[in-house]
Amino acid sequence: MTVVSARGLVKTYGRGRAARRVLDGADIDAGAGELVAVVGRSGSGKSTLLHVLGALDRPEAGTIEVAGERIDGRPERELTGVRRRKVGFVFQFFHLIPELTGEENVLLPARLPGVRNGAIARGRELIAELGLTDAARRLPHELSGGEQQRLAVARALVHDPPLVLADEPTGNLDSEAGTAVLALLRHAASDGRAVVLVTHDEAATAQADRVLRMRDGRLE
Amino acid sequence: MIGAAVERLRAAPRRAVLAALGVLLASAMAGAAIAVGYGLHTGFDRAARDADMPDVIVRFRPDRRPAVDSILRRLPNLQARSYRTQVDHRQVAGGSGATDNGSIVLVGGRRGYAIVDGRDVDGRADEAVIDRGMAREWGVDVGDRITAGFLGSVRVVGIAVSPDNVAFPLSSVPHVYVSNAWIERLARLPPGRQFFVNEALIWANDPKAVDVLLQQARATSTGIANVRFLTRSGVRVLIDSAAGIVIALLVAFSLVALAAAGVMLAAGASADVQRRLQTIGIQRAIGVSRTAVAAEYGIAAALVGLAAGAIGLTAGALAASGPSTRLLEALNEQPPGAALLPVLGFAVVAIALLVGVAAAWPAWVAAGRPTVALLRGAELGPSRARRLPLAAGGFGALGARLALARRGRAAATLVVLTVSGAVILLMLGLASLVTALRDDPGSVGKRYQLTANLDPSALPAVRAIPGVAAAGTRYVVRGADSFALGEPVELLAFDGDHTRFEDPPLASGRRVRADDEAEIGVGLAQALGIGRGATLAVQLSSGGEARFRVVGTVRALDQDGRVAYVRPRQILDDDPGAAPQIVIRVKPGADQAAIGARLRDLGSVASAVGGATTRNGDFLGILATLLRVVAAIDALVCLCALAQSLALTARERRPTLALLRATGAPAGTVGAVLAGAGLALALPAALLALALEHWVLAPLVGDLAAGYADLSARPQGGQAALVAAGLVGLAVAAAAWTARRAVSEPPVAGLREE
Repeated sequence: MTVVSARGLVKTYGRGRAARRVLDGADIDAGAGELVAVVGRSGSGKSTLLHVLGALDRPEAGTIEVAGERIDGRPERELTGVRRRKVGFVFQFFHLIPELTGEENVLLPARLPGVRNGAIARGRELIAELGLTDAARRLPHELSGGEQQRLAVARALVHDPPLVLADEPTGNLDSEAGTAVLALLRHAASDGRAVVLVTHDEAATAQADRVLRMRDGRLE
Repeated sequence: MIGAAVERLRAAPRRAVLAALGVLLASAMAGAAIAVGYGLHTGFDRAARDADMPDVIVRFRPDRRPAVDSILRRLPNLQARSYRTQVDHRQVAGGSGATDNGSIVLVGGRRGYAIVDGRDVDGRADEAVIDRGMAREWGVDVGDRITAGFLGSVRVVGIAVSPDNVAFPLSSVPHVYVSNAWIERLARLPPGRQFFVNEALIWANDPKAVDVLLQQARATSTGIANVRFLTRSGVRVLIDSAAGIVIALLVAFSLVALAAAGVMLAAGASADVQRRLQTIGIQRAIGVSRTAVAAEYGIAAALVGLAAGAIGLTAGALAASGPSTRLLEALNEQPPGAALLPVLGFAVVAIALLVGVAAAWPAWVAAGRPTVALLRGAELGPSRARRLPLAAGGFGALGARLALARRGRAAATLVVLTVSGAVILLMLGLASLVTALRDDPGSVGKRYQLTANLDPSALPAVRAIPGVAAAGTRYVVRGADSFALGEPVELLAFDGDHTRFEDPPLASGRRVRADDEAEIGVGLAQALGIGRGATLAVQLSSGGEARFRVVGTVRALDQDGRVAYVRPRQILDDDPGAAPQIVIRVKPGADQAAIGARLRDLGSVASAVGGATTRNGDFLGILATLLRVVAAIDALVCLCALAQSLALTARERRPTLALLRATGAPAGTVGAVLAGAGLALALPAALLALALEHWVLAPLVGDLAAGYADLSARPQGGQAALVAAGLVGLAVAAAAWTARRAVSEPPVAGLREE
């Protein structure tokens, strides 16, 4: 079953002579249980693709469907709801809030209004399953990069989204920590989610079910 | 360098506008304070110069002019002298007003007053000059006719300001100045004969050495009765002591407002520098000096400060000029006019410098760091998060953590809000106080609401009127201290316990229990230098003398505290025909109009009792308005401080807010985070402001205003709740504004920043 499907995505940065079309008719599909890796040169538009798929940014043209719901052209209020219910993000720089403990960071999406009941309990289970009980009590600056990214993965899964988008999740980690994070993402896909992964890491592509290459704003 | 600074402002116009708004508000406050403070501080000198005010005014019992002149002309340091005959307690009427307490002054030679409209009297018949206060209060213009006691109808040819006293009606005596030459012609005095005089105006060659002149005058005036000297410096001290409180309050508050703006600007500049660390690193890498980097920031901020400061100061000065002019006129002083411009110009430069330094400092500190660290975008100061003892969960609590993470800024904002909140409370409390002093007899310990001029035999009938809770007799007798005849004393006599009707707080000792005992006002005790156990001897207007043993002092406000509460026996012994008032305490909710109608049936018109200073209602109204304007401006300073603090928090924590939105947080949740940040500052500030006002500012101002009375500038419960709710409301408003800005950009913009 297709979880995310996009056709003819177009996105341009800059204006006039400085304008650069980073997405130029990109198409992508990812199904439930599938881990799709997107590779390409720096600045080729990989991260922009993820942002557009995850309703963090808007394309100038093209259609996007997430878990059976068209999201292109929708107002920001509705896109916020899509992100809350259907999308989990993992970022290269973790984006943990420094004033919150590991557990508070993981549970952050679960405390949002409109999130289904049981998300907080699920978050605590995830922390235990991922072996992050000790890290969950600490503030981010007291944790290693690997621990921080594993907490970030737990945060992306806490509201049980059908789509997980990971932007260079191993880019700031050593190989051991990177392997652990990739294993978590693989596990997330195996649980029936679609995972789209942007990476330069060969180890990451090795875990993927499919590898797509971004070139001249299109996926090959 | 200036070009680079201008470019920086053009590149971020919204940030420049926000900074300018803070400077503008603080400058407006400073402008208002400068206009009022400078006007009051210099008003007396200006008025004295314009009026050619004498260095010494001597008042005495009427005497022959040659006899007085033979003493004065021999005084050392004497430059000039002139004489007046002042006839008091005359009926004066004109325009919409009339009084039995007018004063007709026969003038000749140098005047000692300034003509502010029309011309002076010059010997022509039927002409008079009147006080500006009287002209304003009664609506009399040049060319109108007034009646002035024995002179009958006279034409007003000029309006004068005499700075030796405050203006009518603040002073209860309106003056009508007429030419001595005309009155002498009118009286057909034989050649060589002159009127008796009772006032001499003396100008000294060297005003600084007026003491020598005074000493000699005292030594040689033994032949003249009841001599009182009033010096120019003495008048100034009296007026300054009243104006000083207003000046001190305004200056203190404007300094607080400026300091608040400085702190907030420094925080803003620090955040701006933080954001541009890599740019500074590049500047340093290509050889731009540390001074040049700091100067670029300083000049950009100073340009904002110059423009916003000029606008704010002008707006503040203009807003305050109306009430300030009326205040000065009430004190018989002149507004500063163009003399204020250089002071405002200096203030603009000072504000621009302050703002420039506040912005240049963080840039100077940043530019001193290793260039490599700057290019990496290293943080300026320690920013390691701390575990805060706040309840877990809730986005408001998260906001509080974000706000308190920057401890320096949080503390600065807290101080600004606390002091501003306390000043708002103080201003509202003072405004209520002056309104109560005008309208509410209870504010000065009076527990009766009506008075009637009826014979004491009517008391049972008065007590029987429905709605009357109590009625009693009150005698008011004016006299002077027997040992210091210049000190007026007002005896207030009640049958039995006076606290049933007038209950001024007891400062020391006990209440009156016998006919030969007195409770005296603290003002009288201070003036006479007496206290408990002393004897108060009062020369009564009927000619007799009454003696009382002082058993207590009370904090009374009437007559500047120069009152004594006694039993009426000694007064009636001296003057058995003394007529009392009947004072009437009304039951709560009773219809005073209906009681008034019943009193009319008994033969007297009921008078409603006002506060201590009903006569000066307009003046107090102006003062109350001025205080409320200051409170409103202060509330804007609070809003600006909160908005600026939250805007900086939102700017610094842009990735955090973007992350929240990436996880699906709606705009309301972002608003809750920022409201939590605002409330984390506003709620403690509201509590601290209440404490600061209650325990520090209100007692301080109460003592400063009148040491002889209990004046509470403490706000009412409703006002305290209003200010606390206002601070909370301002925090929520600032949060809503900041949240709206934060959610207007796509979430990805904030996430890219990392």
